[in-house]
Amino acid sequence: MEPAEIIDFLDDEGILELDVHFPDDGDLFAAGLDSMAVMQLVVAVEEKYGAILEPADLTKENLSTPQKLMELIELKLK
Amino acid sequence: MKPVAESFDIAVVGGGSAGLAAAVTAARSGARVLLVERYGYLGGMGTASLVHTFCGLYLLRAEPGAVLANPGFPAEIAERMILATGIGPQRVGRVDILPQHPVEFVKIADDLVSAESTLELRLHCELTGVSQTGSGWEIRMTGRGGARSCHAGKLIDASGDAVVADLLDMDFAMTESPRLQRPAYLFGVQGVTGFDDEARLQTVGLIVEAVRNGELVKDAYGLSFRESGRVGEIFGSLDLHGGDDYDPFDDFSLSGLEMKGRSVAAGVVKCLSRKSALWKNAYISHWPIRAGVRESRRWIGEATLTGNDLLKGNRFGDEVALATWPMEFRENTRGPKLRFPEENRPAGIPLGCLKPRGVDGLFVAGRCISTDHDAQASIRVMGTCFATGEAAGKAAALES
Repeated sequence: MEPAEIIDFLDDEGILELDVHFPDDGDLFAAGLDSMAVMQLVVAVEEKYGAILEPADLTKENLSTPQKLMELIELKLK
Repeated sequence: MKPVAESFDIAVVGGGSAGLAAAVTAARSGARVLLVERYGYLGGMGTASLVHTFCGLYLLRAEPGAVLANPGFPAEIAERMILATGIGPQRVGRVDILPQHPVEFVKIADDLVSAESTLELRLHCELTGVSQTGSGWEIRMTGRGGARSCHAGKLIDASGDAVVADLLDMDFAMTESPRLQRPAYLFGVQGVTGFDDEARLQTVGLIVEAVRNGELVKDAYGLSFRESGRVGEIFGSLDLHGGDDYDPFDDFSLSGLEMKGRSVAAGVVKCLSRKSALWKNAYISHWPIRAGVRESRRWIGEATLTGNDLLKGNRFGDEVALATWPMEFRENTRGPKLRFPEENRPAGIPLGCLKPRGVDGLFVAGRCISTDHDAQASIRVMGTCFATGEAAGKAAALES
């Protein structure tokens, strides 16, 4: 998986409108990721990737950038 | 019962953010003003519906720091609120907002109204009819004490629902479901301390988990929480769908909505209190008087502000206020979709949007001014409603 795929995924699912040039280490919270968007994110990650994000996984650190989010999903799929 | 005076220069219908601004502004110019409000306090969405954020007060900026978009009444309210809560503007994503407390807002509104000797406030009073007379308007209203009427030279519709258009049997615009903005159900919760960003994310995880396990209904996905600024108190905001036939004027539809809001909120708080130490002592302390309606009827004015005007940041020679809030669409319950203007430019709101087409002596303020559906998604917020309210109050007073 590449961070670019996460950026597309967030955009396609209507979770967060991101520019295609959004950096892999760009701040998703500053880009508008709020708690309702995180709610959608958790549901969409489960539907699309089959990865179940649990309450303890949802930290600011884990969700802060496309790179970090990708790593979290990959970890949960192991 | 103290009779309503027989005649006013200006009557303002609805005491929400726009009506409050309009009435106080008009009274400050020396006009004799009647303000009619159906609930027991002023503030509308910001009090009766517990909407605890002033949006639209500040310019959109990439640079840090909040800059007020409209001087005058919006700035005055912001200053009073900051003084009351001790909390200043905050940057959330790309926008600056001012957290506000509904309890403080009620008091601020009382203070503003009390200071105006020419302003007569009538709470618990509902408008039932208006008709044009040779010199202005006959206003008919009712309360539990019965019906009464009075005369006003000018009329300001700050009802949020363009009720005057309905009473005059005039054309109005209204977006139908499914594009009509969905309502919100807000409530107060006590017993949660230390609700920071991490706690907010954990709570999201707990809610999704509970829906996955069948402990909560999917409506819970529309919920978000924010600290109120008071120790141990947070607010919940639940975006509700209201069904495919959601109709903000159908009392049956609204009844279902109110009941649904309470049922989902109570279920979530109970569930969270079982699952999390943070939520262990949580209880719902405050129901709103009514669910928050974001969009209903819109007036058709001499000018109509459009979504394109907002996107381009168009300005007008007769503009009376600036719209700065991004178009915020909540046409479903999956969170807000924000559409930002090019280069963060504010758009002007022309006076023509506040003047219903073909009617003299009538002004409109607040979320039901003349716009299309897209522009309404920006101008409906309280920060902008203070500004259009002030502008309507000034314009009406000028003609009086």
